[in-house]
Amino acid sequence: MNPIISARGLSKRFGRTLAVDHIDLNIPPGRIVGLIGPNGAGKTTAMKAILGLVTFDGELSVLGKNPAHERAALMEEVCFIADVAVLPRWIRVWQLIDLTEQIHPKFSRGKCLKYLAETKVTPQHKVKQLSKGMVAQLHLALVMAIDASLLVLDEPTLGLDIIYRKQFYTNLLNDYFDQERTILITTHQVEEIEHILTDLIFIQDGKIVLKASMDEVQQRYAELMVSKGQVEQARKLSPIYERELFGKHILLYDNADRAKLTELGEIHTPSIADLFVAKMKGSTREGISV
Amino acid sequence: MNRLIPLLRREYWENKGAFRTTPMVIGGLYVIFLLMSIFTTARIDSELYTLREAVRMLSDQTPEFRNALIYQGMLGSSVFFTVVMGFVIFFYLLGSLYDDRKDRSILFWKSLPASDTLTLASKLLAAMVVIPTFFLLILVATHIIMAIIGALMILGVDGNPWTLMPSMLIPIKAWSMIAVSWYAQSIWALPMFGWLMLVSAFAPRLPLLFATLPPLVFAVLQTWIEFLRTFTLKSNIVGVIGDWIVNSPAILTAEVHHGSGEVALGFPQTEQFDHSVNLINIADRLLSIEMLGGLVLATVFLAAALWLRRRATES
Repeated sequence: MNPIISARGLSKRFGRTLAVDHIDLNIPPGRIVGLIGPNGAGKTTAMKAILGLVTFDGELSVLGKNPAHERAALMEEVCFIADVAVLPRWIRVWQLIDLTEQIHPKFSRGKCLKYLAETKVTPQHKVKQLSKGMVAQLHLALVMAIDASLLVLDEPTLGLDIIYRKQFYTNLLNDYFDQERTILITTHQVEEIEHILTDLIFIQDGKIVLKASMDEVQQRYAELMVSKGQVEQARKLSPIYERELFGKHILLYDNADRAKLTELGEIHTPSIADLFVAKMKGSTREGISV
Repeated sequence: MNRLIPLLRREYWENKGAFRTTPMVIGGLYVIFLLMSIFTTARIDSELYTLREAVRMLSDQTPEFRNALIYQGMLGSSVFFTVVMGFVIFFYLLGSLYDDRKDRSILFWKSLPASDTLTLASKLLAAMVVIPTFFLLILVATHIIMAIIGALMILGVDGNPWTLMPSMLIPIKAWSMIAVSWYAQSIWALPMFGWLMLVSAFAPRLPLLFATLPPLVFAVLQTWIEFLRTFTLKSNIVGVIGDWIVNSPAILTAEVHHGSGEVALGFPQTEQFDHSVNLINIADRLLSIEMLGGLVLATVFLAAALWLRRRATES
């Protein structure tokens, strides 16, 4: 199957800093990929390259097109929400729908109105009259009404309250996602997307530090909780990260022997957030949080 | 699918106040001033004496004189519209590629499958065609309303408006001349439009400062270097811009001399072009070597603006 996104040595330099540092990437169709990294890791820059918003070095192909030269054509197949509240504030909802319908060949007015009917947004509203959560609902309704192959979401729920955030992802999963479509998400609120992702990419200092499917993550990584007495034994099994919680030690292992771990204590699959912290801080004990 | 039309509609929606309300306010002012002057005359005179006298004097003139008077008056009344339109276009273009970078909505516009070239073209076309067309339609409406008020007044003093009014060809000729001069001005102004769009695409903030300061600094340096070299003060870039305004194909001069009106293209201060209002003189400017230079400059500015727009995300 042809990949939706394929990158070879993708780089982007801003002055002296290499924001994206020779990334190789292959994303097949039908996946929900989380691109996760600390602030300034290059997530947004990588996404902007994929969307044709910035120039880049290296090879990049999105749906067989070069985003740097074919942004307009690419946008017929790709939708993106780059942050909440980027809809123009002066526009009325009906104008936005008219405009999208006339410019976008794959937009369905009926679908969009159906999604909007479930919200408090009306066609006569101006965007600036809407609350942040309602703007996010409007933007999602517009995007879900477009029959696109790739949806890119960059911090789509930033600043929204928990009800809107939950609803956002529920709608996305129930009404939009199918085996043909691919979704690429960045967010800081990792725990919210944890259960919907099929693939995980960690990025740090412009480099990919982890690229795995969620199944692989479950098989590879294990978290062990031990009491003080057993911690020395546990440390011998070369954990990649260790932290302390309520007097217990929690150690994270990559590809460890599960039988040995089980002898020492309880094992779990780590949460993405814990795995993320472990990967970012590295295997040194310096990163131990108390 | 033609995406230019929706993009032009978008410009109209965003700038309704500038495109439509502004000329309506000017037209409204014209009508109000007309009504005020009629009211004042009526208060001072008994039995509307001045008005009766004016109607009588007009009836005594030849139809040719009346036609010329109306024609010149109509052209002259467009000057205020032209000047305000200049300001509207100036500020519209200055914000055209800046505002959406500032409020970050550029990220939404760029998520639509409309190319940057088409977006830029829609904004340039809005300035060159859409704005003058709105101003023209509202100017025509203003003239018609004023003519109706005038006709009612003439009826009110027992005159016959039908014999005093010019033939229908006169207003059509005047409106056509204004239209041609405005669209010609759009072409004449292309280097300025290009510069404003370039600044709009480039300025990190304060586009007005970026648009005006570089030419001013350039002019000062030019004058200074010229002075050091020759100890004279010759023309500089400000002079070039001055000449460009003076030689404009739009009607910018409307004066009254000894009771008869006089209108002119630009300001009749140079010998370079003939300033009397006719199609040949407008064409003369558009086919001049100065225009060619302006088009080359405009192309450079617009190409640079497009280059910047392609790379622009939020500022």
